[in-house]
Formats: sequence, structure tokens, C-alpha cells
Amino acid sequence: MSEATRKRVLNHLDYVGLLQPAIHTETHAPSPDEVTNDQYRAYTRPSHDIGGERDVSIQWEEKEEEIWEHNTFVTCEVLAWRGVWNAEERRRRQNVDVGQTQYLGLPYYGRWLLTAALILVDKQFVTLTELHEKIDEVSKRYE
Amino acid sequence: MADKHKAAPMVDEVSEFEILEIAVRELAIEKGLFTQEDHNAWTDYMHTLSPVPAARLVAKAWLDPEYKKLAIEDGVKASLEVGIDWVKQMPTQFGTPSDYCNLRVMADTPTLKHVVVCTLCSCYPRPILGQSPEWYRTPNYRRRLVRWPRQVLSEFGLQIPDDVEVRVVDSNQKTRYIVMPERPEGTEGWTEDQLTEIVTRDCLIGVALPKPGKTANDPRPVRKALKPYGH
Repeated sequence: MSEATRKRVLNHLDYVGLLQPAIHTETHAPSPDEVTNDQYRAYTRPSHDIGGERDVSIQWEEKEEEIWEHNTFVTCEVLAWRGVWNAEERRRRQNVDVGQTQYLGLPYYGRWLLTAALILVDKQFVTLTELHEKIDEVSKRYE
Repeated sequence: MADKHKAAPMVDEVSEFEILEIAVRELAIEKGLFTQEDHNAWTDYMHTLSPVPAARLVAKAWLDPEYKKLAIEDGVKASLEVGIDWVKQMPTQFGTPSDYCNLRVMADTPTLKHVVVCTLCSCYPRPILGQSPEWYRTPNYRRRLVRWPRQVLSEFGLQIPDDVEVRVVDSNQKTRYIVMPERPEGTEGWTEDQLTEIVTRDCLIGVALPKPGKTANDPRPVRKALKPYGH
């Protein structure tokens, strides 16, 4: 990697870092003259492409798995086994289409779960109404 | 911060995540996309997974130079000898539905230490290593390991001398990695079973080194689940 390329990459990573976890600027949806090319490249990078970004040192933890987390993993695998989605579209949906805010703001399997719900709707296996009605019905079981 | 690792008391009995998970699973079954039996079969398969086969692969390689050669050349083929078939073992009978079937075994040397990350997501060789730890999935680990590997390793309690090169391998959709650390001193004459016991999950990811008498990962705080899944 040339020195100039390296500088450009590090610069990009610094800009991406500024986007986390939310965008606080004076103007939202700014006019074109307010967006530099550095900012443009930071905004348009896929939200999962985070290698090399700055971060602080943290306490490394193990974690117990929630029941819904386990079930979400299994549901996603079985949806793939039965041909509802392939690895590429699943990855794009889970890692890119969710966008920066959900990518960083939701738990790991929370992101998977939203994506699994959306694939059922987007591929017209269920309507949005059916999904909402199901969610209401399940909620009522716990009232 | 004293209660940081206790599950926070919930105002609501049930979380939106739980409700959505049940809704999605039941809808998929009602619409015939998969069956409850499929779901159960995958859960049963998950219960068979652990880091032990990968640990055994390393132990065998320490004892048998020919097998070590095979492991480095063809990790998937070498996996067969520790009971892992990357194609036929899953309920699919055609490999993982995440579509990967390439295991690379990275052998450390006295001057080279490997460590594994997946910067783009959390790719991990589940069939031979089980479920990935939470810290491996964190953006923090994925951000920093490729750029500051020595610092991150030191946080795991592993100080790599300056004259040892650290090589970070970045997993991807098709290719998964395990680390074959060097056989530690003090294990002369040990059996395969004895050696397998000291090759922990953390050793296989590359954030720890095997040591006689050390048969578990370093202790770390455990974040409790609100409603834990009992493996």
C-alpha cells in the first residue's frame, strides 16, 4: 500500500468513526455543497465494513444466549436450508441493508431477526398485515 | 457498575425480540416454508457442536507430522479424521446453508503467531468449533484486531514478543480458519486425549496459547441472559 493510499484509508476510517452511532449535524439532509467527497465516501460505505476503525479498549465478555437468540439463529439457517434465501442475499440484508444505525444499535441476533421477518414480506410469503396480526396475536398471549 | 453483569430488571415481561421471533417462526411454519421438525433437527445439530473436534485436530497434528501436513493442505479432509464431515453432517446433507466449506488451518511457528477475525461479519468455522463467542462478534474486536493486533491480544492476556510476527487472518463467507498453536513445553509423552484437553477454543481462535494444566478459557465476566437458552 502506498503512503498516499494509506493516508486516504486512515482518513476514511476517521470519517466513518464520526458517524457513530448517530449523525449529529446542524443540518440534516444537507444541500450538496455541504457534503465533501470524504463525507460522501463515509456515508456510502457498507455498514459492516468496519475493519481498521478506531475504538476504545473494552472488557471482553462471554455471554449467555437468550432463547430467542438461539431460535433466531436456527430459523435463519432453516430458511436457507429450505431455499427461502441464499447466503449472499441473507448477508446483504443482515449486514448492509439494515443501515448504520440499526447495525450498530441492535443486538447481533436482533439484526438477524428483523431481516428474517422482512424476507418473508419482501418475497411475498406473508403480507405486512399478516405479519402485524401475528405479532399482535403473539403479544396477547403474554397479556 | 457493580451490577453490570446482572440482567437488568424488565418492566415488561416479554421483549419485542421474543414476540417477533415467535411470530416469524410460526408464520414460516404456517406458510410451509419449513416444518417444526426442520427447526428441531437444526437445534439438535447445534447441540452436537463444540470446539473439541478442532482441538483434537491440533492434538493429532502435534503427534503426527503426516497428519499435520494434511491439515495444513486440506482442512476439510483432515476434519474427517476427527469426526467432522463438512458436507454430509448437517441436516441439509449438502453442507452449511451459509454456504461455506473451506477450512484453513494456520500453523504457528516460533516466529509467527496467527489470530482469527471476521472484519465484515462474524464468520466462524462452526462445524468444527461450535458457536462463536460474543466478543468475537463485537464491532470492537472486528475494528481493532486488524490494525492493533498486539494491543488487542494483550487485553486477552497474551503478550507477543516483538521478534514474533503477528498475522491476522480475516475470515470470509467461503473460508474459515482455526489456529494451530505450537505444542507447549511440558507435554512430552502426552496422549492425544491429554493434548486435546489443553487446546481451548481461545487457543483455536488465536487469542490464547495452550499450557499444561490449563484446560479452560481464561475467566471473563459473563453477561447473563434474561431468559437463557440452556445448551
